[in-house]
Amino acid sequence: MTEKAVEETFEALFALTDLRQLFRDTKPLYRLNDEQRERVRAILERVRQSLRIIEEELIG
Amino acid sequence: MRRIAEDIEIRAREELFINIHPIQPGGRLTPEAMKALISYGDGYSTCDWCQKPFRLDKIRRPPIDEFHAELAEFLGMDEARVVPGARRGFQAVVSSIAGPGDFVIVSALAHYTEFLAVEDAGAIVKEVPLNEKNIVTGENVARKVEEIKRETGKLPKLIMIDHFDYMLGNEHDVRGIAKVAKEYGIPFLYNGAYAIGVMPINGREIGADFLVGSGHKSFASPAPSGILATTKEWADKVFRTTQMVGDVTKRRFGIKEVEMLGCTLMGANLIAMMASFPTVRERVKYWPEELEKVNYFAKEFLRIRGNAILSEMPRKHTLTKVDTSKSFDIIAREHKRRGFFLGDELRERRIIGEFLGATRAWKLNTYGLTWDQVRYLAQAFQDIARKYGISVD
Repeated sequence: MTEKAVEETFEALFALTDLRQLFRDTKPLYRLNDEQRERVRAILERVRQSLRIIEEELIG
Repeated sequence: MRRIAEDIEIRAREELFINIHPIQPGGRLTPEAMKALISYGDGYSTCDWCQKPFRLDKIRRPPIDEFHAELAEFLGMDEARVVPGARRGFQAVVSSIAGPGDFVIVSALAHYTEFLAVEDAGAIVKEVPLNEKNIVTGENVARKVEEIKRETGKLPKLIMIDHFDYMLGNEHDVRGIAKVAKEYGIPFLYNGAYAIGVMPINGREIGADFLVGSGHKSFASPAPSGILATTKEWADKVFRTTQMVGDVTKRRFGIKEVEMLGCTLMGANLIAMMASFPTVRERVKYWPEELEKVNYFAKEFLRIRGNAILSEMPRKHTLTKVDTSKSFDIIAREHKRRGFFLGDELRERRIIGEFLGATRAWKLNTYGLTWDQVRYLAQAFQDIARKYGISVD
């Protein structure tokens, strides 16, 4: 049970790392194109999903 | 912004600013390397699956052994090792080849760590002067070899030259130098600290006996990290294993390499290097585009009246020395913030990495910036010039 939560913790951290890279690619104006906006959506969804699983696993 | 610990702030300058620091861009991490740091940060993390013969470059999980083989192949050499920075590569080679009283040829633009490596071995540095274009040529190296021979009666033990130097980012004639080294039978160490990992480099093609690279300068890796690669002919000497036997315990550590002091670059730094490798392998193919970008920037920068570029032109490297003594420095003389005014103006435009307070000769690096970022950068300098009444042609 906890193994899943640990795995999702890494998933979320890695997804946020991809977001970090997006900041690096678009600085200093952060004008995102359609593809980049789509990527942000996917990253945020991935993080939300991981957080949901972690919550279920650890808190119930 | 929150801190990592009480007095350690978060470093977010790569996310918040365009960073033109002369030596930082090539070592900027890939996302894969950042993930490696998250996962492999614990001390001996690479040792989970270390089995006989108990040496870092033999570990199969994660595939460190495979990485070493691929690295050697990528560089056109027979054997490669990872080391804690290019300096440890110089040190390993020099101390294997030269001893007290021996001579080692370096460039007049050599990095200080080359001096230290020679001094550490008890040998003596001999510098090759630059030609009128600030380039180290094969001809000048041959002249230096002759000079040493004439004055001391012996040949230097090693020729160690940087492909691109840290002062001007100029390209030096490494192929010509390798040829001269071969003619005299002197081993040649190619210093690729600013080349390996950003542009395609093949040691065999260059004619080098040793290649040294820097992970944190050019291989999208954390510091310290570096590479030492060599040929079959030299591998046994530089990567020689210990022969020492304990007089009381009779212990031997047979497989451990003396110059590497056993295992070299362990933990997160190595895994981050490995994680960046696929990207590095790809990105070197885009070096011509990096040159297009820096030459575009140089052209725009030179439109500012009084600006000059001290590095060779057109640029063959993204690390570039500029001279603004007849433009921004004139403003600095009267400005209440003196030379810091330029940094203030750049920071206001979300650009950092210039040498703080410098408005005469200073260096910048455009490596890894997107076209949008390069255009923005060029525009920012022109905007600052106009703001202070410097004309832009």
